[in-house]
Amino acid sequence: MLAAVGRRILLTLCLLAAFSFVTFYFFAETEPPLKGHPPLHEYWVWVHGLVSGRSFESLIFIPYRSTAGASLWPIVLPPLAHTAVLLASAMVLVVVFSVVIAYAAARMRGSALDVLLRGLAYLGWAIPAYLLGLLVQLVVSVVGGSRGIGPFPLAGWPGSCPASIGLNAGEISPCPPAGSGIALVYHVLTHIALPAATLAAGFVGLHGRFLRSALLEQLDAPYVATARMKGLTERRVILRHASRNALATFVGALFSDFGAIFGTALAVDWVFQLNGIGALLLHEFPQSFGPADIYAIELILLISGGFVLVSSLVGDLAVAGLDPRLRREW
Amino acid sequence: MTAAGERADPLPLKIPRSRSYWVSVGHRLLLQPAALTALSLLGVLFTVGALVHEIAPQGWNDIDLSARWSNHAPTLAGHHYLGTDNIGRDVLVRMLWGLHDTESVALIGAAIATVLGLLLGGLSGFRRGWLDVVMMRFVDLVTTFPVIVLMLVVFTLLEPVSTTKATVVFALYMWTFIARVVRARIFVLGSEEFVEAARALGASDLRVFFKHLLPNAAGTLVVAATSMVGQIMLVEATVEFFGYGVNSLIRPTLGNLSADAAASGIGQYNALGLGWWVWVTPAATLVLVLLCVNIAGDGLDAALNPRASRR
Repeated sequence: MLAAVGRRILLTLCLLAAFSFVTFYFFAETEPPLKGHPPLHEYWVWVHGLVSGRSFESLIFIPYRSTAGASLWPIVLPPLAHTAVLLASAMVLVVVFSVVIAYAAARMRGSALDVLLRGLAYLGWAIPAYLLGLLVQLVVSVVGGSRGIGPFPLAGWPGSCPASIGLNAGEISPCPPAGSGIALVYHVLTHIALPAATLAAGFVGLHGRFLRSALLEQLDAPYVATARMKGLTERRVILRHASRNALATFVGALFSDFGAIFGTALAVDWVFQLNGIGALLLHEFPQSFGPADIYAIELILLISGGFVLVSSLVGDLAVAGLDPRLRREW
Repeated sequence: MTAAGERADPLPLKIPRSRSYWVSVGHRLLLQPAALTALSLLGVLFTVGALVHEIAPQGWNDIDLSARWSNHAPTLAGHHYLGTDNIGRDVLVRMLWGLHDTESVALIGAAIATVLGLLLGGLSGFRRGWLDVVMMRFVDLVTTFPVIVLMLVVFTLLEPVSTTKATVVFALYMWTFIARVVRARIFVLGSEEFVEAARALGASDLRVFFKHLLPNAAGTLVVAATSMVGQIMLVEATVEFFGYGVNSLIRPTLGNLSADAAASGIGQYNALGLGWWVWVTPAATLVLVLLCVNIAGDGLDAALNPRASRR
């Protein structure tokens, strides 16, 4: 098992290296600042700077950025943290609501509640996240005005002013206060609630249905009939016997879908002005916002690829933990 | 004691008439009202989208210049049934043209992706060995890029993006997902006894692949292709929301129509003062199409793979 995990991690690192080189080469070929230099040399400079963390500098003059020529990590790390919090809370919501949908179906199959939850799941998956985010904002602004509903603001991230390029830039939320300690946690939670729910809705729609069908399939298996014959309560049959097998399928599918969740998080981040990776990426992009910073885009691509690879690793390990039969040779 | 001869009278056993696979798929589909409704609605929507040249021959950029028709709400008087946008273009007509382009990108893109995925994934699962390893590691590498991030990058490099370019980009990327599913199915089927039996009878590789493996993988393939149509629409709309991808000045799609209207701000911060009908019409159509694709996909899944799925 340990050797398998080691091989799996090694494979992940190899893929990450290949991924970083492909993206780097892709840009090095097309963007003027790197034309004429051997791409391998530039790649080495870049990787070296990235790993050592001090000599890594953005080589291009970026007009809008006052810190041109400085290390990119201070620019990339805060958005990365925002996106990570958004992703984590959305994942928690996806798991919780998927379990609710599946459990309702297992206990009351075909009931009005089951049909309603299924209908909502289909609807959630059919509405693109950016559209759902705008609808949520519309409802919030109509009901609660520009300050939001109760503790939940319309947009923004505590302690960071909204990027001046988002939707309705600057009008919705002028730099919300951050505070420290418990106040900070409270502010982050209230600011993340609506975006996380928006991001989760679509994936609850997709994976909730997967978990539901996996659980119903397990409940028809002979071992469940045995468990019922032993006189166990239905609750115990579902939670202790059937759900463990159903969860293995669900967790595997959820983590392998992480690339899509990450991509959607960029749109949600943009709509709710969370100043996450989405806003940063669109800041750094060429065409609309002046010259591109290849190094910054590179770093963001590398981080997003890293997110996907690490999550698929975690997913594989979780599946192997949940269901020993699915332990594959990596 | 009955005589042996009387036993010729058959026992009252009801032996079900055997049906071919596709006939029983049809029967199972008929038993699902939701999936049938979704499929027929999808058929109607896609037919309307395909016939847009006949339905709305004036094209997507036809402007009604009279002042009355600037940003007009839906009305039954005066032929602009779903209203007009801020420069007097008919919202319904633009939505229909958007449906046409969204549909063609998604359907043609998914079709090409399915053929590519079937051939390359099938080959990978069938041949196994080093080819399989190289191919699947390549697929892993490609799918490591989050779809939306990759599409942002590619569409930026390909500006200006036409619907043809978008179709090709989606096809060349999305085949990896089909290939992964097909490869897994073919790989499992390859070790079944009926394949061994076919080989023992002297069947060639091509015959085994097309006559024995492919029909058994057809259910998986149809379901994957259907979900691909929805995936392409969703990704396309999201990328267009960011302002990349097909621009509504080039061709309207359901994605860029709703994104353009949304980008001017909906609710109280509406920069262009657009009416709700300008974004609700394309957005509602997009959601309806995606809803139908997903319900139809699940229905097809239940009909095609009765043992594997219950959704």
